[in-house]
Amino acid sequence: MKISLMHGAGGEVMGEVVDLFSKITNTNAGGIGLEALDDGAVIPIGDRQVVFTTDSHVVRPLFFPGGDIGRISVCGTINDIAMMGGRPLALSCGLIIEEGFDFDTLSKIVDSMDRALSEENVSLVTGDTKVMEKGALDQIAINTAGIGVAETIVRDNGLIPGDAIIVSGTLGDHGFAVLASREEFDFADQIISDVAPLSGMVHAAMNAGTIHAMKDPTRGGFASAINEMAKKSKVMIRISEEEVPIRSSVRAASQLLGIDPLEVANEGKVVMGVPADDAETILKVLKGHRYGKDAAIIGTVQEGTGVIMETAAGGERFIETPMGDPVPRVC
Amino acid sequence: MPKQGHIIIRGIVQGVGFRPFVYARAIAHGIRGSVCNTGSEVQIDAWGDNFDDFLSDLRKGPPLSTIDSVEVHPLSGDSPKSFHILKSHDGVRTGLIPPDIATCPDCIKDIFTPNGRYEGYFATSCVNCGPRYSIIKTLPYDRERTAMDEFPPCGDCSEEYSDPFSRRHHAQTIACQICGPELVLHSGTGAVIKEQSPIKRTAQLLDQGSIIAIRGIGGFHIACTGDMARTLKERLGRTEQPFAIMARKEWILDNTSISPDEEKILQSEISPIVVLDKKDPNALDNVSNLHTIGCMVPYTGLHHLLFSYLSAPYLIMTSANAPGYPMITTLAEALSKLSRITDYYLTHTRDIMNRCDDSVIRKGHIIRLSRGYAPKRTKIDLGNTAILGTGPELNATVTLYTQGFCITSPHIGNVRNPGTYAYLKETTSCLCNLMQPDIKIIAHDLHPQFLSTRYAKELSDETGALLVPVQHHEAHIAASCQKECIGIAIDGVGYGTDGTIWGGEIFQGSAPHYSRVGHLMPVLMPGGDLATIWPERMLYGILPDEQTHQLLLSRGWKEQDLSILEKQVSKRFNTAVTSSTGRILDAAAALLGICRKKTYDGEPAMKLESAAYGASPETWEIPLTRIGTAEVLDTPSLLKQARDRFMSDPKDSQNIQQIAASIQYNLARGIGVIACNAAASAGLQTIALSGGVAYNEMIRNTIRETVHKNGYQLCTNHDMPLGDGCISFGQCVYAGKKEIL
Ligand SMILES: [Fe+3]
Ligand SMILES: [Mg+2]
Ligand SMILES: [Zn+2]
Ligand SMILES: [Zn+2]
Repeated sequence: MKISLMHGAGGEVMGEVVDLFSKITNTNAGGIGLEALDDGAVIPIGDRQVVFTTDSHVVRPLFFPGGDIGRISVCGTINDIAMMGGRPLALSCGLIIEEGFDFDTLSKIVDSMDRALSEENVSLVTGDTKVMEKGALDQIAINTAGIGVAETIVRDNGLIPGDAIIVSGTLGDHGFAVLASREEFDFADQIISDVAPLSGMVHAAMNAGTIHAMKDPTRGGFASAINEMAKKSKVMIRISEEEVPIRSSVRAASQLLGIDPLEVANEGKVVMGVPADDAETILKVLKGHRYGKDAAIIGTVQEGTGVIMETAAGGERFIETPMGDPVPRVC
Repeated sequence: MPKQGHIIIRGIVQGVGFRPFVYARAIAHGIRGSVCNTGSEVQIDAWGDNFDDFLSDLRKGPPLSTIDSVEVHPLSGDSPKSFHILKSHDGVRTGLIPPDIATCPDCIKDIFTPNGRYEGYFATSCVNCGPRYSIIKTLPYDRERTAMDEFPPCGDCSEEYSDPFSRRHHAQTIACQICGPELVLHSGTGAVIKEQSPIKRTAQLLDQGSIIAIRGIGGFHIACTGDMARTLKERLGRTEQPFAIMARKEWILDNTSISPDEEKILQSEISPIVVLDKKDPNALDNVSNLHTIGCMVPYTGLHHLLFSYLSAPYLIMTSANAPGYPMITTLAEALSKLSRITDYYLTHTRDIMNRCDDSVIRKGHIIRLSRGYAPKRTKIDLGNTAILGTGPELNATVTLYTQGFCITSPHIGNVRNPGTYAYLKETTSCLCNLMQPDIKIIAHDLHPQFLSTRYAKELSDETGALLVPVQHHEAHIAASCQKECIGIAIDGVGYGTDGTIWGGEIFQGSAPHYSRVGHLMPVLMPGGDLATIWPERMLYGILPDEQTHQLLLSRGWKEQDLSILEKQVSKRFNTAVTSSTGRILDAAAALLGICRKKTYDGEPAMKLESAAYGASPETWEIPLTRIGTAEVLDTPSLLKQARDRFMSDPKDSQNIQQIAASIQYNLARGIGVIACNAAASAGLQTIALSGGVAYNEMIRNTIRETVHKNGYQLCTNHDMPLGDGCISFGQCVYAGKKEIL
């Protein structure tokens, strides 16, 4: 078998690569390890819980409405630390650059990284640069890794029947912004990526109430994240279509392209499961934050398995983990 | 000459009055002994001089029975003094029970006999009629294992039950006014409306324009008069989809061009919905805006009584469910789901154990395999291993193979929502409960995302059964012809072995070895499934040029949206590739302005067929080409022909009618020609035809003519749906042949 693009699409096919790593002898350093496939690892050091995570970024185009590869590479790692309940402290940065890459462009990318780091008061403490010969790589790839400290660890498998499901804002913005600018689709309203560092907002929410489970719906979108949470928590989740916040511009684009907004990436959103009693309080805190204005309670957790969408028309459908590439199914 | 013997009769011998039949023959021939029912066998100990005559009578069986085999074994010991019916006990299970049977003429007579025991009783039945599958919990079939166990028979019923000379001797469904299920009329809020005759009141309310949910054999119908059809369509949000109607036979004869064969099936013990050509294609457009109308006659006591009080000539009788969802069976669900649709509820107190929708048949081809047909039992040797076929996604059935028979379930629906997925599991359990197979092989569709595929995988994880993925169109052909043949599979969409979307395929071979020797030209489906909802996308995907651009602009497309569609096609962004026949018909319907948006399954193609009705097609040149070793019909160039003709006079309705006919005709000829060429080069005589597009009369007839004209035979499976209702059966055939070989 050869690696296909589907193997990196965050859907079911990617599982084949992930399975390879189950061969690694040691995957756990005493806390939460690779086997959990959570947003990051947790390593107990003394009486502190250190959160450690890494992410590589290859987004095309490098600059898109609302962000660029630099901002994503910082936010992706900060958010993964935040999703574990950690406060991000420091990041590393590994650059792999194609020979001939424009220096000014690189400088813009670094500026953007700096702004994102400053927003959350995170340092970039170490780095590495490699240049590959022309043609060996398409422009640039950025890897970041990061550490943080967690007082309360939040997993992605802690949902309990009765919990409310909250999303911190509109879904699908990043995916549609990037595909529109990459494929040069000229939608009536420009769609802007939501890429943002979320640790501040997440910690405000954690201070306002209990969070049972949390995940950022990046690759594979909300559909992938919510299914992973349901599966790992061994619960059923019911989502109310009418409550799911989706921008009208994203909806219009999805109806022109046949792409489900729930199946494309978000880079500045969090999905959380919270006790029903805390839901309104947490929602209020989220809504008060600049990155959570459109937050909404969109569903509930029940006994059972699977994720069910209660449609606006009164029907039901499953929200399924995307394969990575849509396949028509109508007969 | 033996004067005694132990007789074993196998087949469908339960729920058909077999024991009373044997009893009556025994008395007639002076036979002593006993009869008992053990699952799928009737065992008879018989002594008497007329043993041979008795035996030859037995071989005929009662009307609803199916006899697989009759064995006679030696019998020793002394004969008893008389003949007895013994209690049923469990035994082998290959026979099943019959499906639900329309109320027989004798019972109808009873219902309308003044002062008779059954006068006006809605659930009158006998050994020859009434519900079977819909009420059974488990085999063997006896009252205590059916929904009738809650209704202990009264003295009169018990007496009739034990009377060997009665039509209700050992009739498990025997019931009357005194002891049986009752009818209850409920208001819109669920309150009971006390009525001397709930049926009479229901008829009055219907005549006055009420929309009423009526609980039948296998689920609820929504009923109203023709005057209320549009209101009901609006309330259901299904303004385009035709309704089926129930009418007296005379009315149907007056309003449709019904053939003698169709008349026979219409009033048979199955009494399905028969899709008939209207006498005036434009009449009754409040019910159906196609040239056809789905008709059935009253088939239960309740219906006969309702029509005896009703003034309206016919009733809309549509299944109470959202499209693709299972039919509603309980009052509680009806009250919660139909509150905005129906004004009243007429229900009865007998539980529906197994849901069963009305069957639908058109020109001798089963469209929906359900009440009266299913569970459908097919004798076929697929070896000794039990197989489950979990079916496709749309119009699904499941099939269980065990001990020489395939048992195909009633229509399940579109397995793409939690409700229907649960129904798929329920139906599978029901068949397994009845047949008790040890399933070692699970066959499923090749499509990785179908819920039926997911179910197959779940079951296999639980039981360790072997999974056999079956390509959708190969399953179509396996279901229609089991010998080596050329197979034409024409339908909407199925997942191909090359990862593209198939649906216009010509195979050579037999299960499990097929090669794809021909197909329609792969074309683009911009937006994937979106292109099935908006057929104009399909048109553009096939003919992405300036002329289509201008046409779509003139149809109200925004320049900006169109430029995105163009970019999507040129970049092949989220654009699937398909050889589907259905999508070509969709595109033709879009081209001719016949259907711009699909609101129900198959709508564009059905409207195209209606538009073409009565027109004589032109004969166009068939554009054939090759891709690899396969012969390919160049559908874009066919569609271009159609577009050129259309553009020459886009306003002329006769022109449109003729193009609609021509595109169907020449598409079908092309498919037929490829099949005949394949048959010639393979030296095969038989060409099989399957797939939902084959319901289209002109396409099916044109393919048949082409095949016959070239000296080949056309083979279709009349016992199975041409559409996806046959897939689960085809999956079993495929997996079974694979196992045997
Ligand atoms: Fe099909
Ligand atoms: Mg993550
Ligand atoms: Zn009868
Ligand atoms: Zn009685």
